[in-house]
Amino acid sequence: MALYDEDEDLVAAALAGAIPAWEKLVRRYESRIYNYGLRLTGNSSDAMDLTQDVFLGVFRNLHRFRGDARFSSWIFRIAHNRAVDLNRRKKLLSGHPYSRDDGQNSDSRMADPDPGDEPDHRLAQAQQNGHIQQLLQQLPMDQRLIVELKIYQSMTFEEIAQAQEISENTAKTRFYTALRKLKSSLEENSNAMLQNRPSVNRVL
Amino acid sequence: MPCSKTAHLLTEYFDDSLSPLARTEVERHLQECEYCASELEELLGVQNVLQSWRDERVPHWDRITAVFRSAHRLESDLPGSWVWRWLPTAVSFFMLILLVFNTSVSSNGNGFAVSFGSSGATIDEEQLEQRLLSFAAAQQQQQERDLQALMARVAERMDNNNLRLMQAVMEQARELNADNFEQIYTYFEQQRQLDMETVQVSYQQLLDSDFETLRTMEQLANYVQFQGEPR
Repeated sequence: MALYDEDEDLVAAALAGAIPAWEKLVRRYESRIYNYGLRLTGNSSDAMDLTQDVFLGVFRNLHRFRGDARFSSWIFRIAHNRAVDLNRRKKLLSGHPYSRDDGQNSDSRMADPDPGDEPDHRLAQAQQNGHIQQLLQQLPMDQRLIVELKIYQSMTFEEIAQAQEISENTAKTRFYTALRKLKSSLEENSNAMLQNRPSVNRVL
Repeated sequence: MPCSKTAHLLTEYFDDSLSPLARTEVERHLQECEYCASELEELLGVQNVLQSWRDERVPHWDRITAVFRSAHRLESDLPGSWVWRWLPTAVSFFMLILLVFNTSVSSNGNGFAVSFGSSGATIDEEQLEQRLLSFAAAQQQQQERDLQALMARVAERMDNNNLRLMQAVMEQARELNADNFEQIYTYFEQQRQLDMETVQVSYQQLLDSDFETLRTMEQLANYVQFQGEPR
């Protein structure tokens, strides 16, 4: 079984037609890809579409995977391309990337979480994730991607620069700009909450 | 009071490949400049919020169907597979061409001859008709002969069987009187008659169906003749 545990071995087995190897590979990465999709698209249905799309692309191109790069970075490169495609398509359809409807979509998902063993904890976590999703949707796609790669994929600016084909300085500047923008929207949110509170008291 | 260095400084602060010397400088400035320090504090707060993400469970989805769907597409990309994809269509098309142009392939001592249309086939049709008729007649005679022979054999075998059965019964019932023998004999005789009738009926049915076959063949021959006439 130890032989079967490396990504590269699973890829080879999947190419030879071993369905269990493929399933193992999918199970290993699906959570990371799905959560990546949640953060980039801001809603669960788009994230699931993205996940399926990515694994379809991975399987179709599996014979092109040479093993000169890590499988994880290869799969995320595919995921990244699909996410950018999806974003472009959405932009063409709606005029705005991930409009506020998607935010509401994630709200409804938060209000009706999966019935799990710890509902309270899961609800709180889903709310926190939804909050982060909403925050990230405020960013343009290029900045959102840098945040994703830096914070969630723990990549260095050098790696990000290579992957995005931009200069390291551009990557750094985008990250800083993104953090500043997120900071001001966090401030706006808390101000809005402060303003809402007295009106609630008045009603009571 | 805003600091002109903030943007550059904080950009550098988040750089993971900052040299130790540069990092010391950034740290020193942060200790001196209150504005930059509070800016950094807030950005770190944002980073904390972002880092509080906990991975969500993937909804149920069919991992294998995705494989099969793409596997089929992958297979169709393989070299040579187009032959298998188009072969049935090509064969059907070829057959259709043969049918439309009324192609006939005949073979004789000199080899094969392929002809289109029905002009060359008229003589063949007449020959075919004659052959069919003679074949039908021969078949009919042969079947009648076979049937008669079969009937005779069956009747003979049944007689033998009855005789043997009679003897066996007679041996077993030696003490029975002549009246009883007479009764038993008539009973067996009746049974034999009944059996013969049943056999005759079933052979008649068999014959009928054979004649039907022959009629069908005659019709076929007539049809061939009819087809041949207008040409």
